[in-house]
Amino acid sequence: MTDAANTDRWIRRLNLVQLVLAGAIIMAPTVWMVLSSFKPSFEVTAYPPTLVFTPTLENYVELTRTTPFLSYALNSLIVTVGSTALGLMFGIPAAFAVSWTRISWPAILTLAARMAPGTLFLLPWYVMFRQVGMIGSYTALILSHAVITLPIVIWVLLPSFDGIPRSVFEAAQVDGCSVTRILWRIALPLVASGVAVSAILAFVFSWNYFLFALVLSNGDTKTLIAAAFNFIGEGSTQWGALMAAATLIALPPLVLAALVQRWLVSGLTLGAVKG
Amino acid sequence: MASISIRNLTKRYGNFTVIPDLNLEIADHEFVVFVGPSGCGKSTLLRIIAGLEPISSGDLYIGDKRVNGVQAAQRDIAMVFQDYALYPHMHVYDNMSFALELRGVSKAEIDARVRRAAALLHIEPYLDRKPKELSGGQRQRVAMGRAIVRNPKAFLFDEPLSNLDAKLRGQVRAEIKALSQELKTTMVFVTHDQIEAMTMADRIVVLQSGTIQQYDTPETVYERPANQFVAGFIGSPAMNFFPVEWRQEQAVLSQGGTVVALDGETAGRLSKAGNAVLGIRPEHFAVATDAADGIAIDVKLVEPLGSDTLIHFDLAGGPAIARVDPALRPKVGDRINLRPQPGKTHLFDATNGRVLR
Repeated sequence: MTDAANTDRWIRRLNLVQLVLAGAIIMAPTVWMVLSSFKPSFEVTAYPPTLVFTPTLENYVELTRTTPFLSYALNSLIVTVGSTALGLMFGIPAAFAVSWTRISWPAILTLAARMAPGTLFLLPWYVMFRQVGMIGSYTALILSHAVITLPIVIWVLLPSFDGIPRSVFEAAQVDGCSVTRILWRIALPLVASGVAVSAILAFVFSWNYFLFALVLSNGDTKTLIAAAFNFIGEGSTQWGALMAAATLIALPPLVLAALVQRWLVSGLTLGAVKG
Repeated sequence: MASISIRNLTKRYGNFTVIPDLNLEIADHEFVVFVGPSGCGKSTLLRIIAGLEPISSGDLYIGDKRVNGVQAAQRDIAMVFQDYALYPHMHVYDNMSFALELRGVSKAEIDARVRRAAALLHIEPYLDRKPKELSGGQRQRVAMGRAIVRNPKAFLFDEPLSNLDAKLRGQVRAEIKALSQELKTTMVFVTHDQIEAMTMADRIVVLQSGTIQQYDTPETVYERPANQFVAGFIGSPAMNFFPVEWRQEQAVLSQGGTVVALDGETAGRLSKAGNAVLGIRPEHFAVATDAADGIAIDVKLVEPLGSDTLIHFDLAGGPAIARVDPALRPKVGDRINLRPQPGKTHLFDATNGRVLR
């Protein structure tokens, strides 16, 4: 066997080891969470942890018995879909405008807002929404979650718009398109996969966001993730129910994340220009 | 159909002036080619006509209308891009019909126009395909089809042949020329390839650093270049240049002192100027049978092209090329005598490059 073939074999083995390690580190908490949700409550916190146990649905039964789980799920869905829609509604034209004009400071500003800790917004928003009587409303939650979704949409779509050859837009201009029409008729269909990815990422991040819902919601509009916090008490924590809630909360993002993979590889712009 | 008039046009990017004070008149139905080296401003000028670049100062008229502030969408011109710029998500039919649809043309009219253009360009079998399913040549035709269906005031072409292979380039070149004769529309074509310019244009604009060096018919640009730049740019292989002086009633090359036999008119101009740059195209050298009549050169390299043969040699301290009859089969190291054909030499001012007439 040649040296090159040997090196190649070792690189493949190292890659595999890396993948297994990374996968184990990423998946371990998720597996722990799912397994714990099916354990009898006394076994959830047992030490050393039990790996062999008789699976039970008692935590799920407890969860649905003690909390209006479906209403919380509906609240989460309303807030997440609303804020994702809002993010797309403003993020798509914003990303296109930044790409078209090559003026990048507005996009950087939204990124800064996304990177800032959520607590920074919380107090002014609480005061503001209370002044207009919107605390506990879906509108307040949707608007506040748009701070999460808007930058995601802009920053996922920006490279997609930038990737379209400028000449395609110019051809559309010469053909008689206004800038708005170029966005809807030419650019948007070409970044459809990017829109899907940004929508899914925005959905996942908004779905999982805890802080705004904890402060800005009330009993009627509490989201799943904020409601799950109720299982953590001062004296005792209902770990079994908490794990069951966490597993159910994690399901939609996991399903969507699996869908993202299909969209990520897309050769839609192939053939637009030479080559 | 419309004429294009450019008056005192300036284009600046910040402090950098790309086009300083340019004037140009393109007649209705005329096929004009902008040619020049990379960075000469030819594509910028085309994009200004298209409305894709704003004008810094000056005026642009399409027909009788001043279009300085008019958007590209409202100029009623069609453009074929270097990279074709087809809409990748649309079928060929939709690529061609898109502009008509935007203008509110009826479906029946759109269909008739698209099918007529497709027939003209032999792309009917591809109407329901997407651009990625087409070859480079087919995409090029679709790009032209997209322009043709519009029946615009003028067609603009931005180096549309540069991505095609040599054989296809020749074929499409002939097709564009035939198309221009059939459509009888004003056409502006940008290229850096002087063969494209020579073969297609009614008139050629030779540009350098945003300035028009010469604007004339291909024959005139070739036979009577306005300056040394044009002479060197038009023609392949390029014109040979030798510094020359008038000494003791004869023309001699400044380096080496070789005597060159010039016709009476050229000799007269040189005698007036004292010194100049002598330009001789490779095809305007003749092989002298009499050694006293020609310049003795040593053959450095021979390129047989079939139709003729290129001979490379050194003269007056620089490389030079002569195009000779293929029947003459010199070998490397052979010594032959060349003389410039009478009436085919050019003299340029040694300081500013302008032709001496």
